[in-house]
Amino acid sequence: MRLELHRILVKKLAFGDKTGVAGGTLTINREELLDLISEDELLGGNLGVDIAMPGDSIRIVPVKDVVEPRWKIEGNGQVFPGAVSDVETVGEGKTVVLSGAAVVTAGKIVRFQEGIIDMSGPGAEYTPYSRTCNVVLLLEPANPGMDKHDYEAACRMAGLKAAAYLARCCAEARADEAEVFDFADIREAMSAHPGLPKVGYLYMLQTQGLLHDTYLYGADVKKILPTVVSPLEVMDGAIVSGNCVSACDKNSTYVHQNNPVIADMLRRHGRDFNFVTCIVTNENVTLADKRRSSSFATKLAAMLGLDGVIITEEGFGNPDADLVMNCWKAERLGIKTALLTDEYAGQDGASQSLADSCVEGDACVTAGNANEVIVLPPMKKVLGVAEEANVIAGGWQGSLAGDGSITVELQAITGATSELGYTKLGACTI
Amino acid sequence: MRNGVVLITNNSSLCGAVFGGRLVEGSSLDVLTAARDAVHLGASLLTHPLCGNLRPHQQPFRSVLIEENPGALVDLESLSLIDSAVTIYRDCARLPLPEDLEAAVRRDYAFVDFELMRDSLERYGILPRIVSPVFGKV
Repeated sequence: MRLELHRILVKKLAFGDKTGVAGGTLTINREELLDLISEDELLGGNLGVDIAMPGDSIRIVPVKDVVEPRWKIEGNGQVFPGAVSDVETVGEGKTVVLSGAAVVTAGKIVRFQEGIIDMSGPGAEYTPYSRTCNVVLLLEPANPGMDKHDYEAACRMAGLKAAAYLARCCAEARADEAEVFDFADIREAMSAHPGLPKVGYLYMLQTQGLLHDTYLYGADVKKILPTVVSPLEVMDGAIVSGNCVSACDKNSTYVHQNNPVIADMLRRHGRDFNFVTCIVTNENVTLADKRRSSSFATKLAAMLGLDGVIITEEGFGNPDADLVMNCWKAERLGIKTALLTDEYAGQDGASQSLADSCVEGDACVTAGNANEVIVLPPMKKVLGVAEEANVIAGGWQGSLAGDGSITVELQAITGATSELGYTKLGACTI
Repeated sequence: MRNGVVLITNNSSLCGAVFGGRLVEGSSLDVLTAARDAVHLGASLLTHPLCGNLRPHQQPFRSVLIEENPGALVDLESLSLIDSAVTIYRDCARLPLPEDLEAAVRRDYAFVDFELMRDSLERYGILPRIVSPVFGKV
């Protein structure tokens, strides 16, 4: 399986007559984009498209999802299969990437669920999406009493359609760089790189219900048994986020497309270990589901003869139980584990970080403490509704001060403690 | 519907919409304590007692689905889970009561509490398939 990512580097955004890219500037025909997202009768008549650039004094709130514009120009299927395109298998051929650009969807669904992106100031240091040139979609439901499932789906689709549209309009442009990824099938992987340990990636996806769901080829992941997926399929948008909470550690669609765990494992494949496959699993509410999925996912790992797995979590609290079950079940099958999560250790950092633990979990990487408090100074422009800071998870009544500044926990900042490691936080030994 | 399946909850709208709802007037910790008492009497947990993705002090509602088995031996896995959850909630300095919140915010939290339970309630047959709770009166 070979996938080429043809990257067109975007450094500037502008509105103009024709959507396309030239000299690092992505020009957007605003009316055409608005018409595209307005096609959905579940969305209201007062939709907006705006631009937010790195360094701008702009706050985007409440943010639902972030999506990277991609479009396949060669190979089977099309980006975001099962959502904006057919369900055909992706991950092969050539895909255009508008690298440096992002589509951000913003709009109220259930009020405490969404996040904040500051394009400058101290808040910008905590969100990776302050570095992208953002095309912001300001969304509203067709009517205020609309079913929230329908509205969530409409918001999700608007972001995906816009991202696919932008990249499709640039498909003829010359790429600035091309990156080639080869990934062996299981048969080859079994005999490849003798002497190196066989390692897999156990990819946990948030799947607890409305606004906590994730989709694989359009299928609701809470209804699947754990399954095997090539990392190249993930790069073509096979995994789409439909969840919002908590903003700091939700895995946006953008992060799935650019999953740094996959990128790093591909980089080290054949050198430090033999990266065999990704195993996608869910995080459900019922205990029977948790037991079934953790047993099944680790059984797959054992059937593939894996020596080790990297496990990433999405979310916290209840999903900590899934993380821990995956960990000890793998270890007891003789498969070594390394865990990637974040922490909710209280504002003083003194509380228990995870809701669950096990003795086998002795190799754990943290993406930071989501309860750290930060003051976000006022911005000149707010895209969305500033008052949402008072009800967003991580904020509280009074978070928004009269001068427009906001005091919140990092929990409220989109992507601040990404459990895929797509974050600006880090640590070093001194 | 399976015999003995009970939803312990402080979400009154949800409680009224399911078969076998048991309303706890109080905080999320009171719900967990009631579930723990039931586990001591032989019940087993059907859903994980911790809330997904919100800290205890953020979500005033808690709902736990159990199966009562009068006279059964204590289910040790359930006991371990519910004890850990009670400890986490007890360590929380201030737990909000539903009535502490402004009505619109309260409705949203009640709604999400239901949504996270919906699949389990349907699975165990205690949510009528046509009727959905109305959250206007919480």
